[in-house]
Amino acid sequence: MSVRSEPFVGAARPGRHIATLASWLDRQSVFSWLMMAPPLLFLAALVGYPFCYGILLSLQDRPVAHAGTFVGLKNFATNLHDPLFWRVALNTFVYTALATLLKMVGGLALALAMNQQFPLKNLVRALMLLPFIVPTVLSTVAWMWILDPAFSVLNWLLVLVGVPKPGPSWLGNPILAMISIIVINTWRGLPFYGITLLAGLQTVPPELYEAATIDGASGWQRFRYVTLPLLQPIILIVTLFSVIFTFADFQLVYVLTHGGPQNATQLFATYAFDIAMGAGQLGLGASVALAMLPALALLIVALTIYLRKG
Amino acid sequence: MPAYEKETGVKVNYELTSVGSIPTRVAALAETSSGADITMNITLMPFLFDEKYLDVTDISEEIGQKQGGWYPAGKEAVFVDGKWKAVPFSNIGQLMNWRTDWFAEVGFKKFPETWEELYEAGKKLKAKDHPFGFELGHGFGDNHGWIYPLLWSYGGHEVEADGRTVVIDADETAKAIDFARKFFKDTMLDDVLGWTDVSNNKAWMAEQISCTNNAESILFVAKRDFPEIGKVTDQALNPAGPKGRFHLMQAISHSIFNFSPAKDEARKFLVWVMDQKQLGGWYEVAVSYYQPLLHGYDNAPMWQVEPRNIPYRDSLANAHVHGWPAPPNRQLAESVAKYVVVDMFAKACTGSSTRDVIKNAEAQLKEIYRSV
Repeated sequence: MSVRSEPFVGAARPGRHIATLASWLDRQSVFSWLMMAPPLLFLAALVGYPFCYGILLSLQDRPVAHAGTFVGLKNFATNLHDPLFWRVALNTFVYTALATLLKMVGGLALALAMNQQFPLKNLVRALMLLPFIVPTVLSTVAWMWILDPAFSVLNWLLVLVGVPKPGPSWLGNPILAMISIIVINTWRGLPFYGITLLAGLQTVPPELYEAATIDGASGWQRFRYVTLPLLQPIILIVTLFSVIFTFADFQLVYVLTHGGPQNATQLFATYAFDIAMGAGQLGLGASVALAMLPALALLIVALTIYLRKG
Repeated sequence: MPAYEKETGVKVNYELTSVGSIPTRVAALAETSSGADITMNITLMPFLFDEKYLDVTDISEEIGQKQGGWYPAGKEAVFVDGKWKAVPFSNIGQLMNWRTDWFAEVGFKKFPETWEELYEAGKKLKAKDHPFGFELGHGFGDNHGWIYPLLWSYGGHEVEADGRTVVIDADETAKAIDFARKFFKDTMLDDVLGWTDVSNNKAWMAEQISCTNNAESILFVAKRDFPEIGKVTDQALNPAGPKGRFHLMQAISHSIFNFSPAKDEARKFLVWVMDQKQLGGWYEVAVSYYQPLLHGYDNAPMWQVEPRNIPYRDSLANAHVHGWPAPPNRQLAESVAKYVVVDMFAKACTGSSTRDVIKNAEAQLKEIYRSV
């Protein structure tokens, strides 16, 4: 008896291929890479490439619309000798530290308040998000009017309670200008902290509070020994994001003060933009922008290690 | 555009960009070498993008010959390494805007001729709750618009005509700073230190200030939206200092990109636009907001529409680009972008010593000009 195997081979081949492909796709390592590929490509194109190009630019004397010349670390050395660069660095650290601290404390208070039962709770929670939702440029223009000496509602109130006319120069005085941008950044970022921490608060099992109450814990002790430890990972994550956003803030300062008065509110992002676009020094501007990297990278690494340990 | 398209059959795409976005937009075009054939320039752009612009010396000289010749300031604003890298279109002058009614109350029927006389008027006006408001913050026009002319009028300069020797540390600079300090303290609102370019316009319409330095737009808007303020608004040349009277060139010009696939068409279009037939109409609809840089328009009918704008024409005789007498270059653009001169004056106004602010500015300028 002879057996003809060819037709069987021919018919079985596609099915076997499909089965092989399916089993290959079923492998966890393959499937996970397939899932990760689109975002990785997206990140490589929109973050990785500009980042690498930024590093390349920072190593060149590269006027806009002119060919670049490789200068090594000269741009970074130039920054180190530039007193304005150090002023900008100090401004950025003060702005980030104070605004983040205020957002953290205020956001936690806001979350605790929003976690209580009160009428129209859902509406109030939704309204709380408004500063975060409104485009920054738009809300900054509103703040511009609030702080304007001629039309300031703040100064109008202050004059009513006896402060001499025309009231403080919110954007003309270097210290008040810095305080103003910190307050506005806090106002804008508070809902992000508030809502995220509120979500965290709602995951705390009520039994823990009941047990603590039975053990005689006061309100403060319940917060200190139950709420805070359980919220800690979320606080760290929110802080991480907030520091990154605040450190690289651009729109608020660009619209409100453009870094003035006398560079009192100039931050890394606005200064880098002025040098790269205003002065057309792309290499030097890139080096200023990259100066933000070490501080942010250290922070991210430290927080990641801390979270992993936790 | 429709007229040109009808006349030649060439389709023209016209893209509008806000003034503040032009440098960024043109930087993107120049970096990618694509996207447009012709661009409008503001202030120092011909010096930043010169390598991407065609030499338009022939067009510019021909236009000049046909229409009465160029003001020297027009050439100064576009002339890079011996070539016209743009065809000048206009200046948007920065001059003195003043309240005739309030000045009259303190005895000034005419605008003061010198900075010292203006200071005397300002002291009296501030005492009557009508302070001055001259921008000392980080805008892009209204601060440089009076600071450079003030510095020049006292004989001070950032850099020599050679374009590399920093000369800011001079007695003339110190005198200008000393004047600015008392001018700020005795005549102005404190808030001017934080002003950007919109601030003085708002303060004017709110009747908060009696004198400022701005483009013609302040009178235009006052007449349109606040007619009572418009009636008592007048405009004048910048005051003179010990070394003369000066104004700042805030030039508008047009360039052709050297990567344009339609260079010939672009040149023809630019010649057509700058022809008196089109150009005159363009200037007229803007009611002298754009001050022509061609002498052929010195007596154009548009100057009679609002005689209070005539000082903007007259200011062209002694107008210069930022950084004069040094030829503009990218180092100057960096100095302007870093507000070196504006902040030198602003710091003095907030209490720093003249010596310190000059030394600080000198150190910054030497660092900027080190590479020349």
